Amino acid sequence: MNALIPQNGKIGARTPLIDGVEKVTGKAKYTADLAHVGALAGRILRSTRAHARILSIDVSKALALPGVVTVATGADTPVPFGVLPIAENEYPLARDKVRYRGDPVAAVAAIDEKTAAAALKLIKIDYEDLPAYYDPKKAMAAGAVPLHDDKANNVLREVHNEFGNVEDGFAKADLVRSKTYKFAEVNHVHIEPNASLAEYDPDRGYLTLHTTTQVPYYVHLKVAQCLQMDTSRIRVVKPFLGGGFGARTETLSFEIIAALLAVKAEGKVRVLQTREEAFISHRGRPAAEITMKLGMTKDGKITACHEEVIQPGGAYAGYGIITILYTGALLHGIYDLPAIKHDAWRVYTNTPPCGAMRGHGTVDARAAFEDLMTLMGEELGLDPFQVRQANLIPSIPYTTMLAQRVMSYGLPECLEKVKKASGWDERRGKMPKGRGLGMGCAHFVSGTSTPKHWTGEPHATVNLKVDFDGGLTIFTGAADIGQGSSTMAAQVVAEVLGVDIKRISVIAADSALTPKDNGSYSSRVTFMVGNAALDAATQLRQKLAEAAARKLEARPEDIENHDEHFMVAGSQDKGLSFGDVVKEAMVNSGTITVKGTFACPKEFMGDKAIRGSAIGATMGFCYSAQVVEAEVDEITGRVKPIKVWVAVDVGRALNPLAVEGQIQGGVWMGMGQALSEETRFEDGRMLHANLIDYRVPTMQDSPDIEVIIVESIDPNGPFGAKEASEGMLAGFLPAVMNAVYEAVGVRADQFPLTPDRMADYLEAKEAQQ
Amino acid sequence: MNLLPDFNLLRANSIDEAVAALSQEGVLPIAGGTDLLPNLRRGLGEPKLLVDLSQLGGLSKIEPTADGGLRIGALVSLEALAESPLTPDAVKQAALGVAGPTHRAQGTLGGNLCQDTRCVFYNQSDWWREGNEFCLKYRGSKCHVVTKSDRCYATYHGDVAPALMVLNASAEIVGPDGQRTLLLADLFKESGAEHLTLKHGEILTNVVIPTHAGWQAAYEKARVREAIEFPLAGVAVALKKDGGKIAGLRVAITGANSAPLMVPTGDLIGMEWNQESSEILGKAVRKVSNVLKSTVTGPKYRRRMLLKLAQHLVDKLWLECASAG
Repeated sequence: MNALIPQNGKIGARTPLIDGVEKVTGKAKYTADLAHVGALAGRILRSTRAHARILSIDVSKALALPGVVTVATGADTPVPFGVLPIAENEYPLARDKVRYRGDPVAAVAAIDEKTAAAALKLIKIDYEDLPAYYDPKKAMAAGAVPLHDDKANNVLREVHNEFGNVEDGFAKADLVRSKTYKFAEVNHVHIEPNASLAEYDPDRGYLTLHTTTQVPYYVHLKVAQCLQMDTSRIRVVKPFLGGGFGARTETLSFEIIAALLAVKAEGKVRVLQTREEAFISHRGRPAAEITMKLGMTKDGKITACHEEVIQPGGAYAGYGIITILYTGALLHGIYDLPAIKHDAWRVYTNTPPCGAMRGHGTVDARAAFEDLMTLMGEELGLDPFQVRQANLIPSIPYTTMLAQRVMSYGLPECLEKVKKASGWDERRGKMPKGRGLGMGCAHFVSGTSTPKHWTGEPHATVNLKVDFDGGLTIFTGAADIGQGSSTMAAQVVAEVLGVDIKRISVIAADSALTPKDNGSYSSRVTFMVGNAALDAATQLRQKLAEAAARKLEARPEDIENHDEHFMVAGSQDKGLSFGDVVKEAMVNSGTITVKGTFACPKEFMGDKAIRGSAIGATMGFCYSAQVVEAEVDEITGRVKPIKVWVAVDVGRALNPLAVEGQIQGGVWMGMGQALSEETRFEDGRMLHANLIDYRVPTMQDSPDIEVIIVESIDPNGPFGAKEASEGMLAGFLPAVMNAVYEAVGVRADQFPLTPDRMADYLEAKEAQQ
Repeated sequence: MNLLPDFNLLRANSIDEAVAALSQEGVLPIAGGTDLLPNLRRGLGEPKLLVDLSQLGGLSKIEPTADGGLRIGALVSLEALAESPLTPDAVKQAALGVAGPTHRAQGTLGGNLCQDTRCVFYNQSDWWREGNEFCLKYRGSKCHVVTKSDRCYATYHGDVAPALMVLNASAEIVGPDGQRTLLLADLFKESGAEHLTLKHGEILTNVVIPTHAGWQAAYEKARVREAIEFPLAGVAVALKKDGGKIAGLRVAITGANSAPLMVPTGDLIGMEWNQESSEILGKAVRKVSNVLKSTVTGPKYRRRMLLKLAQHLVDKLWLECASAG
């Protein structure tokens, strides 16, 4: 298969997002903005205990409060949920036990927020405290009380994989080094807080749920499951969404609770969550302790890699099994490594559950690997770029030891371009005191080939309609969460049909209207939904070409289309307008609707013989290299990034404007994790649940990020496109760590590099001298 | 969603009306509201009445006084304070260091000075605090910072107060008993639960900075991010140099104790600025400050920053004084 070459100027054009004006003018309706006349206010009562048995819950006083319509408890939620069918152990409302401070225990629907809040205070819960664990090593220790009965040692998943012969590899190395890194837990901080508007029609037994999700399909399944409803009696709609970054790829308890309250109240219920509750729902990137060991030859070639990871993942399984597998899965696929060993432990702790976050599972592992690679290179007298070049994948196509297939590989070009743009050769090692340059690489999947709910369906389906008005409507289940997926689908269709993008409407993420989509996660949408949109547009183009051929008395294969016209190739006649062609096509057929699909071929789904190869299986990797220039203030210890140069292989930039934004956002999020963001607990008590104490970088902290787009034209991506928003996040961490070393001679081993940590490093260095 | 509690709002038209209203029980003043409203949303207080001071006439001016000083109205916004050519550099630096641009446009000088003390065990939701048996500052009987303490150790994190204090500013206060003036430093006391010396019904109306010819002053704060943050430690220094000697030195700290505090510097007068005097200053700062675990960033860094910033600021001003002649 070869990527289609765009002809009509819609692909590769800097295209403002089609819903951008609505957003910036405030017209866009987010879930909390939806009309809610007659809606009850739903509120959630949360556990104040970190780990405890629930002895009794008394809701009688709350129910008796005037204005309270219904109260729900774990007795109403006998069915657990979880994003992975093999690890569903979370109840919408806790039953028998609570496992972290914030675990939902009861919920109220009342005539207004004030009454609902008052009702929560009237619910009495008797707890019997159990020992609580915040440190994974304590949770795993012999004699610890299990959070979940099926995991006596509190280990959700232990992974031991070896590919190639690691022992041999280390024996062959000229230099073997190992280093232990600590990464703090981080949160997505999507700007729109969680919200749901649920309406139940008791006559039809029908539930309509508007909610803040990246995956309406999962919400649909889990609400049906937990409420024991038929999926055909549920409609899930995702309104405008203020970000996700992975937090909303799992169904969360608040949206199931909203649905439950609506069913119980036989009416409409609105649940608006606070920022604190977003931090309680969490699903962020877990803390990790990673010991990375590499063997290297004198010329920088890596001979073996051994990684050990301990990851405290919070109180429920969630995505945990996948997260821990991902810490090893993407050791593959960026360099040509002969031997990889991966030992990892995902551990339950009495803290909010972790989940998927931009760069899911791969970021910390990549950061540790890249830093150690640079250190060892320096020890051997090799420039960081030289070490990467020594380990590049030798030829494409390439198959990794985990059976991932690499069909396009722009990393070499990324390295060259970013090196040149940053003036690396001229400047590195010659920076003024307190300033340094560092670099790092990373990659990420363009969608997982093996969706977690395996159905045998295509990976994506797009319906495309053209009607008497000449208007084109794309129906897609893909959730635009701000990343621009609706614009992407419109561009693809406009390109194939050669029409103005304004002719196209996109109806997205409404289960009553749009075909099912697997959701906005793992950077799958551009690749998979883009290909499905391409398929739909190609089919429609064929129908229109046939109609034009009839009218122009030519063969369909001789029909060309561009600039809203269909014409005979090579003819001087300007042919037929798009509207006229549609009218002709509709004769005898009426409104035309085509269905485009995309199914990932089996050879990209991993190898059943290789354990764990379903994770990290993809059709294409995005690659990136970045250089960070940073300054360290020796008085305050603050690390200030001055400038970032980042080159990213996105296959083809369908929309360079959106691609640049996504890349800058990815780098920026890496910067937050590297320099200021971390969750903080004292005795399991969350201290950081606000935007003063959880320190997302501000505009003032944001350096200029120069984006260099590299286009390797993937043979399977739509017009050659791959993902463009996750594969550049991790590179910032090792790059800034290196820059700090050049600036002040400190070899850091933990993130974030906050001023207090830097001050400790600087003090330790002073004491040494 | 966190609702504001129910309260009445009185938009006072005169200082007398405001003072009369504030002399009742359960009444709080509000100007910009950037400190009060987030706290109320978190259930920190249930006032029956808020007295809106924002429309009071005559308190939004920055004007020179007859003797070469400056009178600044309590309702002057932090933005206006930072932008006025009359404002001394140290005060500008402090005002610009507060939160972000929209907060500075909304927040007032008076509100910034009188802002509530802060603590990780206090600036949390009602659910959170209830689960931690509340605390000594509000509704509880225990301080979680110093567990055996009988007083609250919430920390004062205002930026502007120390900058004004080193300029020897005074506060004009109007209350039921009329007007009084006190040194700004005396507006505060070291008690996290009650850090202002304002009497019931009193409001801060103006701040007066006396003439400070010959002095150089500056303010710096330790922070993780370039905007939004309260000072993890903040230091203001005013220096007067005579030949090669320290003729005058005032140092004030914030973000450390329950009040912004002056650091005694009497031992340094007449000394040169060198290693020895720097160490004496360090000792003085250490002696006054009492940094505890009241912020998510640990006390060790904040203590270190108090010392480093104090010494660094004197270093800097010492050079500036020299170049200023």
